[in-house]
Parts: sequence; C-alpha cells; structure tokens
Amino acid sequence: MITTYRSLALRGIAAGGIAGAASALVQLLVTEIPIRAALAVEEAREPAAGEGHSHGEEELVSRGAQVVGGMLGVIIVGIAVGLVFATAYALSKRWFTDRTPFSRSLALGAAVFGAVALLPWIKYPGNPPAVGDPETVNYRTALYLGVVAAGLVIVWGASWLAERLRTLTQPVRVTAVLLAVVAAVAVVLLAFPAPPDTIPADMPVTVLWQFRLSSLAQLATLHVGLGVVFGLLIDPATRRSKAAQTAAVA
Amino acid sequence: MTSPAAHLSAVRVPKWAFAVALLGLIVTYLVLQENGLALGASSELLHEFFHDGRHALGVPCH
Repeated sequence: MITTYRSLALRGIAAGGIAGAASALVQLLVTEIPIRAALAVEEAREPAAGEGHSHGEEELVSRGAQVVGGMLGVIIVGIAVGLVFATAYALSKRWFTDRTPFSRSLALGAAVFGAVALLPWIKYPGNPPAVGDPETVNYRTALYLGVVAAGLVIVWGASWLAERLRTLTQPVRVTAVLLAVVAAVAVVLLAFPAPPDTIPADMPVTVLWQFRLSSLAQLATLHVGLGVVFGLLIDPATRRSKAAQTAAVA
Repeated sequence: MTSPAAHLSAVRVPKWAFAVALLGLIVTYLVLQENGLALGASSELLHEFFHDGRHALGVPCH
C-alpha cells in the first residue's frame, strides 16, 4: 500500500513518461501525416511577408528537429502532467472514495481528459500549421486557457456536489451530478465567444479534420493513458494478479 | 454512503508537494505556451523546437 506522497509522485513521473511516450508515438505515426499535408499547403502559398513563423528556407529549426522536438515536448508534458496528476490524486479526499486505487486513477484521468482536452477541443478545436492568424494568437490562447480553467472548475464542482448529495441513493445522485455537469458544460460552450479565426480557403477540410481527430486521439492517449498507467503502478491488486498469473502459468 | 477508505487517510501530503505541482505546471507552460513572456528571445527557438507537439496537443499556435 502506497502511503507517502513521494512514492505517488515518482509513479506520476513514470506514468506520465509512459503515457507521453505513447502519445508521442501516436504523433509520429498519425498526427504527422496531416501536419505534413498542412505544411505543403503553407509552402504552396507564395512566401508571405510577415508570417512571423518559419517553416521554410530560413528556418530556425529543421523539419526533422521539429518532428523529434515535438515528440520530446509531448513526453515532457506527459511527465509534468503526471506530477500534477499524482499531487491531485494524493490530495483527493472525496474522489470515488469507495473504489479501488486503479478505478480512482482511471476516473481522474478520464475527468482530466474531459476538462483540459475534450472541452477545449469542442469549443476551440486545434488547427494544423497554415491556419492560425499570428495576430490573434494571444487572444486565442486566453480563450483556450479560460475554457481549460472552466473545465477544471466543473470537475472540482462535480466532486463537491457528489459529496454534498451523499445522502441520496446512488442512481439519483449520479443523475443529479451528470445533469449539473451537462448544464455547466452547456453554459461554458455558450458563454465563450466563437473562435476568432476563419479557416483559409486553401486548407482542405479533410486535412483539417484528420489533424483535429489525430490531435484528440493523442490527447486521449496522454490523459487516459496516464490514468491507466498510474492506476496500474499504485494499485496493490496489480502485483497480486500478476503473481496469480505466474502461479497459474507455472 | 462513502466512507474514506484506508488508503486515502494514509497519504500525508507535505507542503513541498505544491511546489512539485507548480513545477509541473511551469514546465507545461514552457513547452506549450511560451511565446516570449518568460524567456525573451530564446523562446522562439524553444517554440520552433516543440512546434509539432504544440499543434498536436491542440494548443493555439501562431
């Protein structure tokens, strides 16, 4: 049984690294395909003055380095998110307290995915290169971070509400919490302004959506994968079942 | 009824845990958001190096 924060944090780092590596693999094999297509669209445009961003000849970092760096960045983010995840897990006092550590970790991973990935993806879906307007990047970043913050508040609020309603029977309580979450998500989606940029006409819709779905797959791999791997690492049942399996094989 | 399980009350979270979590958030910011606010000129190199990852994780980019 894990009883110290330190051991949880170390497992958070390990789980984050593994989930990040899996997400980086999805990037290499899946997301890079629409990114390459989008870069071809960008190159087909005449060297537009004032792009403020270099993919072409006068590049600061070569394309190969960007592919490797992008994967490395995803792994680093995985480890960093793993640390925050482990801390949130250690602090949680009312998060599915009647479940096993694995179920709690998986549920937390799914909730984090919903709050910091799926909700912003629905409101402000990510774009491949050659779409964003550099003029609006700070505004778009503020909107994006606002939705992420709202998503985290909804997750926290849901666990608070579930705790407050603990005198109700379980089906009624789950329904009430779900309705509250749906209402809060609807308010967030309606209250935040529409994405400011229009999609350029030369960006094929297929490339755009292949990119967006690849991006969502990568985010799911990162966050849900983190919940699964962290759960495997902290749940004593993992080792017990492993021992039982070896015994059965032998 | 939910009663805190044994493994919950067992974990004691020290103060430095918040510093660790903050470190995680700062690293995430540096990789995904840094546009020159914290690191100035060298941020563009960082930005370009992590370019594909930023796009792939759905963060607003240029």
